[in-house]
Amino acid sequence: MIELLTAVFSVTFFVTVIRASTPLVFATMGGLISDLSGALNVALEGMMLIAALTSVIVSAYAPWWVGVLAGVSAGAMLGAVMALFHLRLKADIILVGFGVNILATGGTVFALSLATGGDKGTSINLPSKAIPRVNLPFLEDVPVLNLLHGHSLLSWFAVLTVVAIWYFLYRTPWGLWLRGVGEYPAAPEAAGVNVRQVRTWALVASGALSGLGGAQLAMFNYVGFTRDMTAGRGFIALGAVLLGARHPIGALFAALLFGVFEALSIVMPNLFSWIPGELIQTIPFVVTVLALILLSIRAQRALKARGVAN
Amino acid sequence: MNDKTALRLSTALREGSRALLALVIALLVAFLLVLLTSDEPMRAFQTFLTAPLGSARTRGLWIDDVAKLTLTGLAFSLVFQARQFSLGVQGQVYVGGLFAALVALSPIGQTWLAIPLGMLAAMLTGAAYGFLPGYAKARFGASEIVSSLMFNYIAIRVVNWVTRAHLAPEGSGQLSSPDFPDTAVFPALIPGTRFDLGILFALIATGVVWFLLYRTVWGLKLRLVGDNARFAEYAGIKSKAVMVSAMTVSGAIGGLLGAVYVQGRAFGRIDIDFDANLAFEGILVAIVAKNRPLAVPFVAIAYGYMRQGAQFMGLRTDVPTEMLAVAQALIILLVASQFNVPFAKTIARLRGRRPGGKSREART
Amino acid sequence: MQRVIEARGITRIYPGGTVANDGVSLVVRPGEVHAVVGENGAGKSTLMKILFGIEKPDAGDLLIDGREARFEGPRDAIDRGVGMVFQHFSLVPSFTVYENVVLGSEPRAGARFDRAAAIERVRHLSETFRLKVDPEAQTRTLPVGQQQRVEILKALYRDAKILILDEPTAVLAPQEVDELFTAIRTLTAEGRTVIFIAHKLPEVLEISDRITVMRAGKTVGEVVAAETSEPQLAAMMVGREVALRVDRSTHDGPRAVTVENLTLKADTGVTLAENLSLNVHEGEIVGLVGVEGNGQAELLEAVAGLRAVSSGDIRLKDTSLTALSVLERRHLGLSSIPEDRLAEGLAVESTTAENLVATRLDDPRFAKRGLLNLRAIRAHATALIDRFSIRVGGPEFKVGTLSGGNMQKVVVARELSEQPVVLLVNQPTRGVDLGATQFIWKSITDARDKGAAVLLSSADLSELLALSDRLVVFYHGRIVAAFRNSEALTAETLGSYMLGADRMDDGQMEAALR
Repeated sequence: MIELLTAVFSVTFFVTVIRASTPLVFATMGGLISDLSGALNVALEGMMLIAALTSVIVSAYAPWWVGVLAGVSAGAMLGAVMALFHLRLKADIILVGFGVNILATGGTVFALSLATGGDKGTSINLPSKAIPRVNLPFLEDVPVLNLLHGHSLLSWFAVLTVVAIWYFLYRTPWGLWLRGVGEYPAAPEAAGVNVRQVRTWALVASGALSGLGGAQLAMFNYVGFTRDMTAGRGFIALGAVLLGARHPIGALFAALLFGVFEALSIVMPNLFSWIPGELIQTIPFVVTVLALILLSIRAQRALKARGVAN
Repeated sequence: MNDKTALRLSTALREGSRALLALVIALLVAFLLVLLTSDEPMRAFQTFLTAPLGSARTRGLWIDDVAKLTLTGLAFSLVFQARQFSLGVQGQVYVGGLFAALVALSPIGQTWLAIPLGMLAAMLTGAAYGFLPGYAKARFGASEIVSSLMFNYIAIRVVNWVTRAHLAPEGSGQLSSPDFPDTAVFPALIPGTRFDLGILFALIATGVVWFLLYRTVWGLKLRLVGDNARFAEYAGIKSKAVMVSAMTVSGAIGGLLGAVYVQGRAFGRIDIDFDANLAFEGILVAIVAKNRPLAVPFVAIAYGYMRQGAQFMGLRTDVPTEMLAVAQALIILLVASQFNVPFAKTIARLRGRRPGGKSREART
Repeated sequence: MQRVIEARGITRIYPGGTVANDGVSLVVRPGEVHAVVGENGAGKSTLMKILFGIEKPDAGDLLIDGREARFEGPRDAIDRGVGMVFQHFSLVPSFTVYENVVLGSEPRAGARFDRAAAIERVRHLSETFRLKVDPEAQTRTLPVGQQQRVEILKALYRDAKILILDEPTAVLAPQEVDELFTAIRTLTAEGRTVIFIAHKLPEVLEISDRITVMRAGKTVGEVVAAETSEPQLAAMMVGREVALRVDRSTHDGPRAVTVENLTLKADTGVTLAENLSLNVHEGEIVGLVGVEGNGQAELLEAVAGLRAVSSGDIRLKDTSLTALSVLERRHLGLSSIPEDRLAEGLAVESTTAENLVATRLDDPRFAKRGLLNLRAIRAHATALIDRFSIRVGGPEFKVGTLSGGNMQKVVVARELSEQPVVLLVNQPTRGVDLGATQFIWKSITDARDKGAAVLLSSADLSELLALSDRLVVFYHGRIVAAFRNSEALTAETLGSYMLGADRMDDGQMEAALR
């Protein structure tokens, strides 16, 4: 237990938490944007996975930032495809989302095998690049501030993104449109706002953000692509949107919470070798289910406290 | 009576032809992909289209897939009809498979009770595992999409751990249990193939689900809840109870699939990661079948054929099996959308362009 | 003669083949209040949707300010100075008033939404046109009358010169109507033109300068309001004398339903109804009067078993209902025609037969040991389709394929297939045509004459006055007045209680509450 506590209250652990949380934060913001526009995006998982592979393959032949951009574009394009099928061809958004997820699961393996000449498991033979780490050596020995040292460039960008999304949603006219479209589409429609266009952009943005998450995953958390490497992060992000009460700041904290537990599942095998790895891996999923249920119980309690029977 | 049958027939024809059209488009795109990526596209595509029929053994593999796809398709159809996006079939397959394996590896496994008890154990645990996200939704309002997916991840990891650490012979480093005794494995209907009891159970399950949905009060309630839950409440139907029971019954089917997996001739033991993601493909089967149980086996036959074709293509040629994912996604997207008019035009255009595709083939 | 709008030979045929507008013409002069009247289905709404660019005419010309207008969408109409306020408001509930008003054309400071400017402009508009509303209030907390003002402000903010109001008085209490009329007069005084859609003739005669009458998709004629009369307009509208007459109850049965000190709360804890006490006797219709959202609908839901009771009791004869399920209440003879047939009255993807049997799934005629008796269900449906003359291809056809009036008949047929002991009715004729209205009214009074105790809620005061034997008025979740219906009782009297301007003391109400 002592070992666990020392491990948890270390700078390394903090860095692990931020590393684990960064892809989740991006995917959560992606989920938030489309959810607020009234389109539940269950394809975050598939978008991240495809973006991860895209950025790995591209970064093998181009600078790292081109790889990241390629991942973002791949996500954005998938968002546009979802918009096409959901908004123009009137397909159910959840079914479309699962179409994208299925495409991602097999399609990434197919594309990986094409890109590597037959490898189906990992991109170990591709010399893919990593996102640079922001090192602040002068802070390394300063207590507290040393926590800022050694994170991915994208982690810093994630913080910026959350603030930007908050500003966008609550301080710009387009944010007003987006929230209006999600809550009561007839109102913006009557005011001349093109509802379909707003949703399309929301899905594209959602894809681009998931794409950033995928890039971070395959170019920082791990360097290289492994099949199914997203391992449910897209769905956990969906849970984080709900847990964060559909608000960017709340969703950020929810994503960080899940990041903490993922980080725990990363450090625990070294400390407790007697706990089977499989069980440690279930931690983020168990926590997500529990968090969802606790959130719902709390919401019900709040109602009861205000004096409603049942 | 006549107008009723006519109405049904015309609806079935219209929707059947839409599904068929989606299939044709998906196949065309698959063909195009093979053309673009393979060094021997004709052989690859021929393998894809004909290999499953090649021998009694390959036909057995196909039928085995049909049985499994039918069961997962039924499980998804049932929850989708109640308009619950519970996606927990995969988890149910794992826990069901584990409990069937526990029965098979226990002393009961040596007796004739091994098969019925194994299946029963699997269905019960599957039902319990389906009940959990349903209860969490009905009682607390927790989104069933997220929770059922989380339950899948949990089940896979826990079952893999039990298999690796407790069922595999100690110290062997194997990732599977020892083979079950013969009494615990489904007998082959055609000796030497995978053509076993599984397909029989799948067909029985189809009949049962159809009967439940269209001939019982519970089924009508379930469909009314799926159509309009508020109306159902207003009519005096306890919609939450119906939702939870739908997820539970669907869980039992998922569990049954677990038993069919581990006790079928394909395995006859439990491995880690044994379902190879097939359980999830029930979503596709259910969507194409429009959640109608009687259509599910037919979709499973067609889709199972494609699936096996892709497997053989992956084994025998340079085109990876996973190419199929593109066709899968296209089928889902097309069947889920209303593409009557706009796509009729696209098809016409595609037909016009086919010669272009051929010239590309000449170039490669 | 100046013309701000001129429509000539407008024809619109819907994909189903319905001719909604057949060579309609309309001339509106600047600065006037121009009413367009006609029965439901006469084509008024379609014409307005064409003026506002929502529908495109299949033939005919539209001139705005003498220049031809071809609208691709509402945006084009707005650009040409046309604004429209629909019967169903399009306001985002969680937004503030100013956010709703400026949505789509926000004042900006760079990329930022300039809230201060938005608030200021909304306040200014609200003062100029005497449309009193707090710009910073959250929209969902406002009463209907104020939400309507927000809608009008939306159009004015977009600089609408021509304002189309689609049945604006349908949702208002009489006194709110007066305030609306004041605002309309201010608008015309400021040089705006108002097109006013309605079917209540006294209001039309009061507010408008000229009136265009429509019937069955055609223009019947244009008259000057000062030179016409109610009977003359009515004759033009219907083409024949139609009087929806209903006979009063002759029964005086024993008490059937007792509501005692009932308090209801919303999920959020807000009190919806407080300390309600009222009785319904066999063979009478009790009308629940009130502006929507004052607790009438909630009372009906509580009696039906769809809403939990916080305190108090509801009894049918001597049985307390509060602990019983919806189904158990239905067994005791309770039937209910809900407010919104699509939201809660029907399952549109299911067949007519399934919809007709949905409330009787434990009746041994239709289900034994959990199995459906399909033959009996079909026979039941065929009989009801015949008895209520529902126009449908057969019991196997999906309800979603029926017209609005026929859908409502499916609901009525299901709820009245057997004589109810208690009948709850909410907005029975909203959006159905005259023929179906007559039929539905007849069905309700027939049930009453056979001894049903009926609770009726409606936004239409004339419907309440026509059908009810007694009326109770709701204001802020409380009963503030009770009347026995008589020729002397007018909408204006009810109105003053509906708005809380007046209230009776218990002694005054006692006689009418029985």
